[in-house]
Amino acid sequence: MATKDTPVNDPMLDPITGEFAVIAPGHTFKSVTEEISNIVLTPRTPLGWFFGFAIAGGVVLMLLVALTWLFLRGVGIWAVTIPVAWGFAIINFVWWIGIGHAGTLISAILLLFKQGWRNSINRFAEAMTIFAVVCAGLFPLIHTGRPWLAYWLFPYPNTMNVWPQFRSPLLWDVFAVSTYATISVVFWYIGMIPDLGTLRDRAKSRFGQFFYGMLAVGWRGSVRHWVRYEMSSLLLAGLATPLVLSVHSVISFDFAVALLPGWHTTIFPPYFVAGAIYSGFAMVITLAIPIREFYHLEDLITLRHVDNMCKVMLATGLIVAYGYSTEVFMSYCYSASKWEYFMMWNRMFGPIGWAYWVLITCNIALPQLLWSRKLRRNVPFVFLMSLIVNTGMWFERFVIIVISLSRDYLPSSWGTYRATKWDYMTLAGTFGLFTFLFFLFIRFLPMIPMSELRLMLPQAKIRAEAEPLPEAGD
Amino acid sequence: MRDSVKENMQNTHAKLTLAEVRAKLAGQKGKKYWRSIDELAGTPEFEAAVREEFPEHSSEWIDPVSRRGFLKLMGASMALAGLSGCTKQPDEPIYPYVKAPEDLVLGKPVYFATAFPFRTGAVPLLVKSDAYRPIKIDGNPDHPYNQGGSDPITQGTLLDLYDPDRSQHTYYRGETRPWVAFLGSFRAMLADKKASGGQGLYFLSTTVTSPTLAAQWKKGQANYPNAKFLQYDPVNRDSAYAASKAAFGEYRDAQYKLDTADIIVSLDADFLSGAAHPGFHRLAKDYANRRRLDKTSTGEYSMNRLYAVETMTTTTGMKAEHRLALRANDIAGFAATLAAAVGAGSAPSGYTWSDDAQKFLAALVKDLKANTGKCVVIPGEQQSASVHLAAIAINDALGNVGKTVVYTETVNPMPTVEGDEIKSLVADMNAGKVDWLVILNTNPIYSAPADLEFADAFNKVGTVVHLGNHRDETGLQAHWHINAAHYLESWSDARAYDGTVSVVQPMIDPLYGGHSAHEILQSLLDNPDVSPYEAVRSTWGTQAASAPGGEDPDFGWRKLLHDGFLANTAFTPSSGGGKAVIPAPLPQLAADALEIVFRPDPHVYDGRYANVGWLQEIPRPITNLSWDNAAIMSYATLDKLGVSEHDVIEISLNGKTVLAPALAIPGHADGSITLHIGQGRTIGRVAGGVGFNACQIRPSGSPLFAAGATIRKTGQEWGLAIPKSHYIDHRATYVGGDGSGTHSLEGNEAIDRGIIRYATLDQFKQDPGFAHEGYGKDDPAPDESLFPAYRYDKNAWGMSIDLNSCVGCNACIVSCYAENNIAVVGQHQATVGRIMQWIRIDTYFEGDLAAPRAHFQPMTCHHCENAPCEQVCPVGATVHTPEGLNTMVYNRCVGTRYCSNNCPYKVRRFNFLLFSDYDTPSLKLMRNPDVTVRSRGVMEKCSYCLQRINEVKIEADKNNRAIRDGEIITACQQACPTNAIVFGNINDATSKVAKLKKQERTYGVLADLNTRPRTTYVAEVINVNPALTPDVGA
Repeated sequence: MATKDTPVNDPMLDPITGEFAVIAPGHTFKSVTEEISNIVLTPRTPLGWFFGFAIAGGVVLMLLVALTWLFLRGVGIWAVTIPVAWGFAIINFVWWIGIGHAGTLISAILLLFKQGWRNSINRFAEAMTIFAVVCAGLFPLIHTGRPWLAYWLFPYPNTMNVWPQFRSPLLWDVFAVSTYATISVVFWYIGMIPDLGTLRDRAKSRFGQFFYGMLAVGWRGSVRHWVRYEMSSLLLAGLATPLVLSVHSVISFDFAVALLPGWHTTIFPPYFVAGAIYSGFAMVITLAIPIREFYHLEDLITLRHVDNMCKVMLATGLIVAYGYSTEVFMSYCYSASKWEYFMMWNRMFGPIGWAYWVLITCNIALPQLLWSRKLRRNVPFVFLMSLIVNTGMWFERFVIIVISLSRDYLPSSWGTYRATKWDYMTLAGTFGLFTFLFFLFIRFLPMIPMSELRLMLPQAKIRAEAEPLPEAGD
Repeated sequence: MRDSVKENMQNTHAKLTLAEVRAKLAGQKGKKYWRSIDELAGTPEFEAAVREEFPEHSSEWIDPVSRRGFLKLMGASMALAGLSGCTKQPDEPIYPYVKAPEDLVLGKPVYFATAFPFRTGAVPLLVKSDAYRPIKIDGNPDHPYNQGGSDPITQGTLLDLYDPDRSQHTYYRGETRPWVAFLGSFRAMLADKKASGGQGLYFLSTTVTSPTLAAQWKKGQANYPNAKFLQYDPVNRDSAYAASKAAFGEYRDAQYKLDTADIIVSLDADFLSGAAHPGFHRLAKDYANRRRLDKTSTGEYSMNRLYAVETMTTTTGMKAEHRLALRANDIAGFAATLAAAVGAGSAPSGYTWSDDAQKFLAALVKDLKANTGKCVVIPGEQQSASVHLAAIAINDALGNVGKTVVYTETVNPMPTVEGDEIKSLVADMNAGKVDWLVILNTNPIYSAPADLEFADAFNKVGTVVHLGNHRDETGLQAHWHINAAHYLESWSDARAYDGTVSVVQPMIDPLYGGHSAHEILQSLLDNPDVSPYEAVRSTWGTQAASAPGGEDPDFGWRKLLHDGFLANTAFTPSSGGGKAVIPAPLPQLAADALEIVFRPDPHVYDGRYANVGWLQEIPRPITNLSWDNAAIMSYATLDKLGVSEHDVIEISLNGKTVLAPALAIPGHADGSITLHIGQGRTIGRVAGGVGFNACQIRPSGSPLFAAGATIRKTGQEWGLAIPKSHYIDHRATYVGGDGSGTHSLEGNEAIDRGIIRYATLDQFKQDPGFAHEGYGKDDPAPDESLFPAYRYDKNAWGMSIDLNSCVGCNACIVSCYAENNIAVVGQHQATVGRIMQWIRIDTYFEGDLAAPRAHFQPMTCHHCENAPCEQVCPVGATVHTPEGLNTMVYNRCVGTRYCSNNCPYKVRRFNFLLFSDYDTPSLKLMRNPDVTVRSRGVMEKCSYCLQRINEVKIEADKNNRAIRDGEIITACQQACPTNAIVFGNINDATSKVAKLKKQERTYGVLADLNTRPRTTYVAEVINVNPALTPDVGA
């Protein structure tokens, strides 16, 4: 998307298209492979990694403390109450699941659309998906009153002949999330096999050779392997694509199917999906920028990626904004329903109304700055913006869940919600868990797909693009 | 105390010396009920007491092995000493009521009649007993007085019986002693004093309700003519008694006949709130019966009209068609003005009335004059004697005497002005005249007016004996403390409001071997060993035996026990209205003066039920306050004082101070602060540390209300537990508000949303279908659902609640707690909104919060036919029965709480923590064996008393017959004093509930959501005086 006034001699710009390069020039197959595999295979782990890993580990310990107390005492240690019977746990669940969506979108939909730039970021975006689903999956389990019986939500054969209640959206959640987690893990792993083979071959230590050898499941890089690999990637992408749309749609049914004003609305599925991708891309940026700095991967994760992700955020942010305005329109102007009317007034001006304005500021107002190309290429600014969008999306769920519940049909039963320290510890604890897993991932697995990057190099491109050219007169 | 020491020692694993034990004890704070002054002071006496407690074991604490053995033994003996559940029946024969199995059939409850001897008049009871443990208390349906109705306090006395903090021993100076040791010492003293005629022997009793006890004292006094028997309760009938003495020359009780009253005027008389007002059950029932819109023979609706003048907003004032908020001080002036206007006495000088008050007065006078002989003026128990005198004069002038009000002997056998008695007692104590003071079931150290300095006078008494249910503030200070028997454990007698005699018969042997006042007073008599049973029987035996019956000489007595009351013992009205001369009332309070009004707490009364968790936790009517008391005032006064709600203020009155959190309520009189007495107890795991003790500033000279208080802000805050929110509607008109900024948001919304629908009588006459017109008031057609409708072929249970009859007294809630084993969650959990009540009374304030109208709406599970909760439960833990009940399968619930989110009525309650008490042995005895005790992480809610439905169904099945209408009575329905709740089979067109549901006024709350609720409401119709409020209603 470069324009005429960009300097012609900038090595980062593609001389033909004028766009930012996906990979900096000068890289060879070897240099790409080395740059990525050395992060994993180096015998000298950077001190910074230990530092970050220790902090994340500490936060995980805090999560364990919070969970232990939770299991000992019950969900009453949280702020959930009647009428606000769902609180941080469900907010966090929806938020984390939403974050996962960017990974799937990048790996599946962008693959199908042949968006080559995705290759640099798809691996850790997929990892992000899996870890986000891990964090998300924790919450439905722990938020139940009797978590030791949460397996009753699964339709397993049992002597009592009791089945789950299939009309409940919570049950649909179980299927949606477990499918999603399965596909994501399989997709991630299959995509990693060629790189695992590379690592096996390059590993010096006996353990490394064994470990990556086991994971590489006999990958030899033969043509037959590559054909099957490409085919299975495509098939899995085809399977995963509907999930991008379906998972968050199903989760939005938790709310849309309910009777509550503020939940009972048909706009939720598309608007939840857009919101999920919005927050997901924000999270990819939140992760990519520090990694890029720390491991000096500016050559592989370039401003092109940052710029593109900002554009996706801008687009999905506008869809979300449209969703919000439709909600306002529906309740104030169209519904002619007192419940809806009051719900929207309360959402904006009720006792927790400030949360709505935080949401509007973070999700709609501030992201409009991304229209500026200059700002899109300002890495610290983009990082800050990604944090703002993540905050805003968390507040979106807070507004939907807490504010709607706090004042519903019967004015006598209105209540409020004030999070406890255990709520905050659990929320922070999942950040820790997510980061903890991510630290393990970047240390022990290739965070950028070497095989796919190698294909992106000009050396690869010449052959790849030369072959399909039809001969004259054919 | 000993048990607590044991507890403490058992919890301590390391070696302990006695000094350490003592240090630990002294470090304990808060709700430990055993804290004594001795202990806090750390006196040598206390140390000595501890040492004496375990004299032979003192050294063993050094030796771990023998200490372990000792603990083992102690544990075993505690288990034995505690309640093992094998309590036996009382020795004397008691007779089961109505349903009498041949012998005890386990699991099959039996019912006994008795009475709750409350100080405002006995409440006749029918007690459900399971394996000889009383597990549910309800009104006696056959008794002419309450006809089955009860009230929150009566319901709460069940938990009072099983209160684990009840005193379990007789103590002498902190040591346990056998009862006979006391008896020996007491009788030795009596023998000593025989010569002096009992000089220096004083009794201070709670108000005596038992004719037998009065008779015992009368005989005892003959033996000890110089002994004195005084009575004191912080909440008493002094004004009524003083007024009747002035008007009639002797103590009289007024009985009001609301069934014949068209116009009712309450002069600060809160006769619809609870048993604190004498005759509550009768008055509430009669009041409600005239509001069912029945037609008289002339085809007119026979509906009464209630006017209320009051200070604190009460349910009576909120049910009133017209209400005037006046400061307590000025009500006497208003009463005198009203009396003058109807031709009794002359108007007081120096009073100026606001425009509203003048308008109110003019309309009231006109209404009263038009209804002579069909109206009644009721003075408030907590109002001065001059208000009572004015009421006597007004009723006389309007020709009401003998029609709507009659005067009879007093229900209490020893009427007296208790405020004077306590003053004379303290004077005698200070003068050193009191040698032995025997305190019977009262707690003067806690409750005596502050300026009497009762605790100081206490130390000047030679020996103090305290008989009490708890080792309370007084019991801890007294030399002798005797654990009292509960009324469900002992024999006594009492008269109901109408004078009918009831025998209080024990339902269970005393759990802790307690004793009653009868046993103590009997010692004064020539035959000191006569048991209370014989004493009671000798009082009524002859009268009972005269009842017609078989040849068996015991028949009459057995019938008395069986029925629970002695028929035809109601008082006969005395003739004459009394010549009341209304004294000049106190001058009107200056506009800026601040007045403090002392009232009994609506639930814990004068503090005697402060340790009953149910009564503490259930939100009080009007204030919605749970677990605390507060400085209650109007919004204007709050603004004027410059404080906000929850701010702790220091109230000073005559040099005494107390700290209290401020709370504003709609409709309270300006310039006045109401303090509820009964809180601020220092003992009890429930009562300790709750609220503040208003008696700390209560003056003996004016114990009902006193002017001249000053307020100081402390800058502290106290999180009052108000489970329901209350907000002021600040919305401008363009966002749906009314723009006033003075109305209740909830109230406005409730009326906007069609949750509350009501009309005036005139509007109803013109438009009987008013409840079904307007936004959201049309019920959807039955087939408007994606899901096929359920079929209910046999029974379809439904409920109808008459909002015209509901007076918001909370009796149903306490009854539900007892019936359904509902857990008490405590103050903090209540503050965050986790109260477990299955039925609640929603209160909506309509109109200007300075002069609101309230609407009470009991809210339970609606058992929707299209239940939103059922569709969203992922495990099918809440399901529909073929009879249309929406049931909870506790075992299946995993606790996602989705059902609660989707319930538009928000009637589901979740066990966020382990709220049920699984450990306290005495509470295990109390539980209803037919209802599961819910554990942590499980949703629960109203089941329409499924266990009662099934019990009746089984009986009907066995007899191969259909269930009769009215055979199934839910717990809330049973307790309701006004019969506002009706339950039954809506498939049976002849059932009462089906007929009610066909009424034009019946509507379903939120029925436009197509939930098809099984609980419906009969819309309120109010009989306003058109001269006062022309534009209210639908």
